[in-house]
Amino acid sequence: MVGICLLGLLLTALATWAVARADKNTEQRLLQTQTRQAAAVLSTAIITIQQPMAAALDVQRAVGPPRAAKAFTRVFSGSVGADRPFLSASLWHRDGDSFTRVASLGAASSLDPRGSHIQDFLDHASTSGTPFVVRQLTVGDQSRIAYAKSDSVTGFVVYAERAIPADRRAPVDRDSAYVDLDYAIYIGSAAGTDTADMTTTDVDPASLPLTGTTAQATVPFGDTVLTLATRPRTHLGSNLSQRLPWFLLLGGLLLTLALALVARQLTRSRQRAESDTETITTLYQRVDTLYGEQRALSVRLQRALLPQVNPGIPGMEVSSEYVAGAQGIDIGGDWYSAIAVGEETFAFVVGDVSGNGIDAVAEMARARFTLRAYLFDGDGPATALEKCSRQFDIATDGHIITALVGVGSWRTGEITVANAGHPLPLLVSGPETSFVPMPVGLPLGAGPTGYDSATFSMPLGATLIAYTDGLIERRAETIDTGMSRLLETVPCLAARPLDAFVGELLTSMRDESSTDDIAVLALRRVSR
Amino acid sequence: MVDFGESTRSDGACVVSVVGEMDLAVVAEFLERALACLDRADALALDLDLEGVSFIDSSGLGALVRVRKEAADRGKALTLVNVSASTHRLLEITGLQDAFDIVDQEPGADRGK
Repeated sequence: MVGICLLGLLLTALATWAVARADKNTEQRLLQTQTRQAAAVLSTAIITIQQPMAAALDVQRAVGPPRAAKAFTRVFSGSVGADRPFLSASLWHRDGDSFTRVASLGAASSLDPRGSHIQDFLDHASTSGTPFVVRQLTVGDQSRIAYAKSDSVTGFVVYAERAIPADRRAPVDRDSAYVDLDYAIYIGSAAGTDTADMTTTDVDPASLPLTGTTAQATVPFGDTVLTLATRPRTHLGSNLSQRLPWFLLLGGLLLTLALALVARQLTRSRQRAESDTETITTLYQRVDTLYGEQRALSVRLQRALLPQVNPGIPGMEVSSEYVAGAQGIDIGGDWYSAIAVGEETFAFVVGDVSGNGIDAVAEMARARFTLRAYLFDGDGPATALEKCSRQFDIATDGHIITALVGVGSWRTGEITVANAGHPLPLLVSGPETSFVPMPVGLPLGAGPTGYDSATFSMPLGATLIAYTDGLIERRAETIDTGMSRLLETVPCLAARPLDAFVGELLTSMRDESSTDDIAVLALRRVSR
Repeated sequence: MVDFGESTRSDGACVVSVVGEMDLAVVAEFLERALACLDRADALALDLDLEGVSFIDSSGLGALVRVRKEAADRGKALTLVNVSASTHRLLEITGLQDAFDIVDQEPGADRGK
């Protein structure tokens, strides 16, 4: 944003400077043009001085010496007096080395008519080759300009003086050529603005020479040169040309300001967007955290509902494991259970509630404790399942439940099982490993139904493995492939201590990416 | 992902077909469609065409059981048609084989699912 401001200011300054410079150049050009016009006016004014003097000399050629004074008076008197070009005038005639005054008009001349100064001045007019000479004179606090014009044929010389107002202001500025100008006019032997040569000006003489934008023009004036120095009094060019730099400056500053505001707006928007992104990230992290917390809570709930201690069944080792699915908070409703029922009777259940989440866990708890109650009461597995089938309904519960229920005697190894839609358990007995054949009834929740039971025998050292479908099921393959894998994996591990066996079985069988949870319950009949 | 299709057979049975994996993510929509068919007065029976089903998890099975119960409550026949060998095997393992009227896929039509 600072960059934009600096760039804007720089561009504004450059544009303003360029236009101001162009305006100044225009002003200079206009001033020079106007000064030339003013000089032309000045040349015309000079003619009004020279012309009467030339006329007076011409008359002398015609009339001859005896009537010289009368003719001069008649011709020249109209040019002498107040409000006329000259204050004083006289006619002189060369007689040998000096000049004799023939006639005089108006006020007394500043130069003494009998003195040598006037003789020298007249002589200068006669001999310098320039028949018209000019001098600036100071008489007290007054300034005058003296002119002399000679005629070498007749030997006559006209002398005249012109007054310069005390304030050095000349009526020349009445001409329109001077309207817009301050000026100062100098008379000197050469072009220049020497203070001593200054004759008339429209400004305070003390403030001379003119400064700032100035121009000069020169006009030959007899044996001298008039120098006209000028300065514009106002702006000579168009108003627009004069104001354009200021317009540019103002416009540029406004534009820069606007750009800065827009930039600030954009910066703020970006900051807001960044802060929004941060907020969203934070929210996601919070969701993640909550998600993790909820999952941890669900797993804790699940584990809390699973038996933690060995049920203490004589002659029977029991090991179990529960693994939650790999992703998500939605833990499943798998469970296992093993209880001692009577003196030599024990019961076990492995079950699976469809779906997942807290309500599946709740349904699992209901199924688990309902079955446990019937089994504890002495019901056989088929009876327990049948009673349960009347209490669970997919239409109201939203879940189906598969369960393998077994009741056995640790003393004989005889085990009776009933199955509500659950994967068949595996029996490892000596070198043989096989799925235990049994009738499979409807899952709980499908409606009231009966179950058939089957009985098999577990020899000493035999291991029964019950599990939920997560152990064998993978999306990309058929269920038989998973069952075959289990059938191949189990014999390799069967010699291990039961806890290690269960752990390693899970490690070998589990699909790390599976979202399904797994429960495994293993029973090994050992000598008492 | 899963796709559902609906059609009506010439004898008036409503057919809902499922293509894809029938798991927890889709059971809600599946149930909605199947139950809507059962509620149609003109549909005397419901066929569930499972030809395109590549996988069914316990939630999917639960959904089938739910439809079976709802159909029975309404006195309408439910038939699973074009059941692939793998789906049939799953129904067998879960004890549901006898609970449904099943019309298997033509032998050889199973595309190795």
